[in-house]
Amino acid sequence: MNPATARKIDIYFLPVAVASYLAFWIVLAIRPLDRGDWLLENLLIFISVGVLGFTYRKFQFSNFSYGLILMFLVLHTIGAHYTYAKVPAGFWLQEWLHLSRNHYDRVVHFAFGFVLLFPMREVLLRSAKAHAPWATWLAVTALAALSSFFEIVEAVVAQIVRPELGAAYLGTQGDIWDAQKDMAAALVGAVLTACWLSVGSQQRKRSTK
Amino acid sequence: MLENILLVAFVGALCLTHRRLELSEASYLLLAAFVILHIIGAHYTYARMPLGLWAKDLFHLSRNHYDRVAHGAFGFLLAFPVREILLRFSGIRRGWSFWLAPAVILAVSGVFEIVESAVAEIVAPGQGVDWLGGQGDEWDAQNDMLSALIGSLLMMAATALSNFGKKAP
Repeated sequence: MNPATARKIDIYFLPVAVASYLAFWIVLAIRPLDRGDWLLENLLIFISVGVLGFTYRKFQFSNFSYGLILMFLVLHTIGAHYTYAKVPAGFWLQEWLHLSRNHYDRVVHFAFGFVLLFPMREVLLRSAKAHAPWATWLAVTALAALSSFFEIVEAVVAQIVRPELGAAYLGTQGDIWDAQKDMAAALVGAVLTACWLSVGSQQRKRSTK
Repeated sequence: MLENILLVAFVGALCLTHRRLELSEASYLLLAAFVILHIIGAHYTYARMPLGLWAKDLFHLSRNHYDRVAHGAFGFLLAFPVREILLRFSGIRRGWSFWLAPAVILAVSGVFEIVESAVAEIVAPGQGVDWLGGQGDEWDAQNDMLSALIGSLLMMAATALSNFGKKAP
C-alpha cells in the first residue's frame, strides 16, 4: 500500500466506521423484541458514545481502538435488539453444544474484556502515563472493576424496577452464580488479550536487541 | 481454617516483599487493622460474630452484617496502601491514582467473589450462596463488592482532602 492511500484510510476510517455503525443501529432500533428492555440496554450505548464524543477533542483513541469499541457496541446492539436471552446466535450455540441456556450474554461479557483491553490500555498509557507493563495489567484490573461495577448497578436496578422478580429480571435464566460467571468471562477475556500483548512486546524487545 | 489460608498467604507476601516495598508506616498500620478484623471474623465465623449479632438485634436487621463491615473495611483500609504502590511503581499520574486504587480494590473483590463461588460449587454443590455465609441474601456478592467500593472511595476522598494544598503525593 502506498503512503497516500494509507493516509486516506487513516483519515476516513472513523467517519465511515461510525456511519456504518449508525446505520446498523437504526436498522436494529426498528421493532426490537422488547422496547422497554431495548431502551434499558441502550442506556449503555448512549452513555459510552456520549463520553467518547465529548472526550474526542481531549483524547483521541487510535483507529484500531475505535474499531474495537465499535465492534463491542455492535455485539451489544444485537443483544439489545433481541433481548440477550433470545439472540438467535445464542440458540444455535445452545443446540450445537447442547448447553442448558442461551449463552450469548456470556459471550458478550467475554468480548467486553477481550476487545476493550486494548483501548483501555491505550488510555492508561497515554493519559494516565502508566509504564508499559503496568498499563497492560492495570487495564485488566480496570475492566474487571468495571464488570464488577456493572453487576452492582444491575442488582440495584433490578431491586428498584422489579423487586419481586429478583435476579430473574436480569436474564440470569436460573443461574445462581450468574454474576460471578459474567465477571469471570470478562476477566478471562481481558487476561487473554493482556498475555497476547505482553508476549508480542517481549518478542519485539528481543528482535531489537 | 479456610479463612486463615488467606491470612497466611497475605502476611507471608507482605513479609517477603518488605525489603523491596517498604511501604509507609501508615500503610502497614492500615494493613494490620484489616488483618485484625479478619482474624476476629475467622475466629467466630463471619455470620456469628457477636458484634454483628448485637447490631442485628439493635437495628432489627435481617442478618449479621459483620461480613459487610469487613468487606467495607477491605476497601477502606487497603485502598491507601494500593494507591501508594501504584504511585511508586506504575508511573501513573496523581489524579488517576485516586480512581485506579478503587479500581484495583473492586477488581480484587470481584475476583474474590468468583473464587468464593467456585469453591462453594466444588465443596458444597447446590447449596449456593448460603454455604458462603450469604444468610439468604440473593444479592450477597453484589452487596459485598459495593461495600468494598464505597469503603475505598471514602478512603480516597479522605486522602485527597488531607493532601489538599500540599504538594506531597
